[in-house]
Amino acid sequence: MKKISISPPVAAVLLAVVLFIFSGFLPNSFGTNTQAAVSQAVNIVRLSVFLGIIAAGQTLIIISGGEGIDLSAGAIVTLSAILTWMIVQGKDERVLPALVAVLLVGAVIGLINGAGIIFLKISPLVMTLGMAGVITGVVIITNHSNTPGRLAPIMTRVIARPLFLGIPGAIIIYVFFAALMWLILERTTFGKNLFAIGVNRVTAKLSGVNVTHMVLGTYALAGALAAFGGFMVVGNTGVVFLSLGQPFLFPSIAAVAVGGTLLSGGKGSYFGSMAGALVLILISSVLTTMQMIDAVRQMVLGATLLIILSIYGRQRGFRQ
Amino acid sequence: MTTSLSAQNIVKRYGGVVALSDGNLDVYSGEVLALIGANGSGKSTLTKVINGVVVLDGGQLLLDGKPINFDSPHAAKKMGIATVFQELSLVPKMTVAENIWLAREPLRSGLFIDSKEIKVRTKNLLKLFEGTYRISMSMDDPISSLPPDELQIVEILKAVSIDPNILILDEATASLDNRQVHRLFELVRQWKAEGKAIIFVSHRMEEIMNIADRYTVLRNGKTVDSGDMKDVDEKALVSRMVGKETVYSLSREDRPKEEEPKPARLTVESLQTGVIKGVDLTVHEGELLGLGGLKGQGQRDLLLALFGDIPYEGKIVINDKEVDFSHPNQAIKESIALVPGDRSREGLLSIRSILENLMLPSWTNYGFPLNMRRSIEDGDRVASSLNLVMRSLSDPVNSLSGGNAQKVIIGKWLLKKPKILLLDDPTKGVDVGTKAEFYRLLQQLRSEGTSILFHSSDDEELLGLCDRILVMFEGKIRATLVGASITKANLVAASMGASEGNIA
Repeated sequence: MKKISISPPVAAVLLAVVLFIFSGFLPNSFGTNTQAAVSQAVNIVRLSVFLGIIAAGQTLIIISGGEGIDLSAGAIVTLSAILTWMIVQGKDERVLPALVAVLLVGAVIGLINGAGIIFLKISPLVMTLGMAGVITGVVIITNHSNTPGRLAPIMTRVIARPLFLGIPGAIIIYVFFAALMWLILERTTFGKNLFAIGVNRVTAKLSGVNVTHMVLGTYALAGALAAFGGFMVVGNTGVVFLSLGQPFLFPSIAAVAVGGTLLSGGKGSYFGSMAGALVLILISSVLTTMQMIDAVRQMVLGATLLIILSIYGRQRGFRQ
Repeated sequence: MTTSLSAQNIVKRYGGVVALSDGNLDVYSGEVLALIGANGSGKSTLTKVINGVVVLDGGQLLLDGKPINFDSPHAAKKMGIATVFQELSLVPKMTVAENIWLAREPLRSGLFIDSKEIKVRTKNLLKLFEGTYRISMSMDDPISSLPPDELQIVEILKAVSIDPNILILDEATASLDNRQVHRLFELVRQWKAEGKAIIFVSHRMEEIMNIADRYTVLRNGKTVDSGDMKDVDEKALVSRMVGKETVYSLSREDRPKEEEPKPARLTVESLQTGVIKGVDLTVHEGELLGLGGLKGQGQRDLLLALFGDIPYEGKIVINDKEVDFSHPNQAIKESIALVPGDRSREGLLSIRSILENLMLPSWTNYGFPLNMRRSIEDGDRVASSLNLVMRSLSDPVNSLSGGNAQKVIIGKWLLKKPKILLLDDPTKGVDVGTKAEFYRLLQQLRSEGTSILFHSSDDEELLGLCDRILVMFEGKIRATLVGASITKANLVAASMGASEGNIA
């Protein structure tokens, strides 16, 4: 029997295309208007950028194995957005220092996550969940009154508006970001060792990989990437609020899973997570176009996730 | 009551490997039968057939003269056959009492666990070993908090708790101290008097001489001899285990004839870990040093300690420089490589590609961004030098056969050109053809000056390949075999801890 095996990232992209074409036939949609279709497609991709960037750190942590998961990603996004907002104060020249600051804060939070997991042997789920609580608490205490702050014009221009040939700046940043992620995962010793510790930490150690350093580094990097996500989100929305990051948390895990990254670690790609983010945003957008209430949207999203993952699971079963 | 168990012409195959081709054994009420044999002779397989852990492929078991069949240890227990396992069968998170009565808890009204009854019965059982375990030990302690000797006692009590007619003690004394062994032997004599039949497996010749009434010797999967202990001495037993001295001529002739002393490369002084009790050794340049003995005598710990994977006390000197490793990457920097004993758990990244498995210790040599073309060239080169049978370097390593997977692990170290190669039973589960290739590779590495410390559970391999053989017994080096003293008889005698006088 000929085996038809299709890699999950490609499957996710194909699913996205099919969904997009289907969405065109809905009432009030773009129908046969090509121009409208293109602008709708660009908009969907642009929306997926933010989820995609937040899913980047999640991808690294899930690949690192050891039941790795980052439930603090949403809280870091919120914290980073508020910090950016407070530091920038409407001044263009403060944007870069703000970016550096939030990346550092994110990295330190991630490092603490990693330290708890590797030294105190707290499970990643509990450690990052606890961290999310701590961060959220800190944010609430320090922002009991309205947060004074304002976005710099250059952020809005680069992130939220078309930047080059009518392509939104966020998408251009996303392309470079994706290239960087690919480089980290596939063309550095760090990336190779990351997959190694995700598959088998004993083998990795006996081959000279310092598993402790790798776990600390991975969680620190993931924290910085989530903070970058927060920076991008606030650049897009232009406002901050306490529940800004939370809605991204579970979709960021779902995007990694839909992208074919093994939740047990050791196998996966960032391209997959990007495709996963696109699929999730598309489904959500289709359901909005169909004027579904939020409860129905949640149900359909959840069910889709289960169906996709069960198909991946079956494929693996066939191959063995 | 009287009972008897007879195993007749037992055959057991694992895949294509015949572990037992003609296993025979008879044991009767009121006696202790010692089941003895060298590494790979089939004694653990025969034990497993008798206690239901594995299902036999041929032959017949008779209990009190009637044929019996069972397919699980549980079924064997129901027929009164209990085993004290060498690899402990206890649940770490449950208490001593819970473990002893697991799945056989005494019930009240046929429904509720009678915890009072459990307490009384456990107390009675613990009395058997009273005074030989810590006073503070309680039946309510979780198993995970007990030291190895007490675990072993619990394991023994668990087997005894079903009041078996036939009791198998498989290396039950390995982690007991003298006093505990003494008590166990008193109990064994008592059980014997009560009419139990006991099968005793041990690597300690001294204990076999002490407790056994009769013996059965296995060699190469066959029962070759049985008889009364009073008719034999240590030396006679060892010679029966060894059989006709087979000169293993795999590579003897290829050995360098003139033996001028070469400089020492690795020197170890009074090395200790939890398992190793003080080891001194020296490996010279271009030397193939064998590490023999029965399984679990500290060979694995020795290799892991030298590789920096487990903490140790003592002195390790490499090329006249004292080193102190706390992580394998430091050992790798000193040009040491380890082929670990458990291939899939310690040596491979199952779902990753062959290339990534080969390159794992070497990626840092490929720059940033990683020079993939050069890594593929190097990977192809080492794969073809090892005759690795594969479709492509990008295939997952778990698509390879056992022998080819082992080649990948060896290949990843060849890329690092190690000066010291540590091998932990590398040919286990490897096909004959690959073994021959592997032997040639070892010869080649040795002639290039690599120092090799080679542990093998296959005695023939050690005898055929090594310049010298260190025989380990209970965490120490029992004997060093050099030149004419490299004989199977000496190796087996030292493995069983036979007294020095019996080593030729």
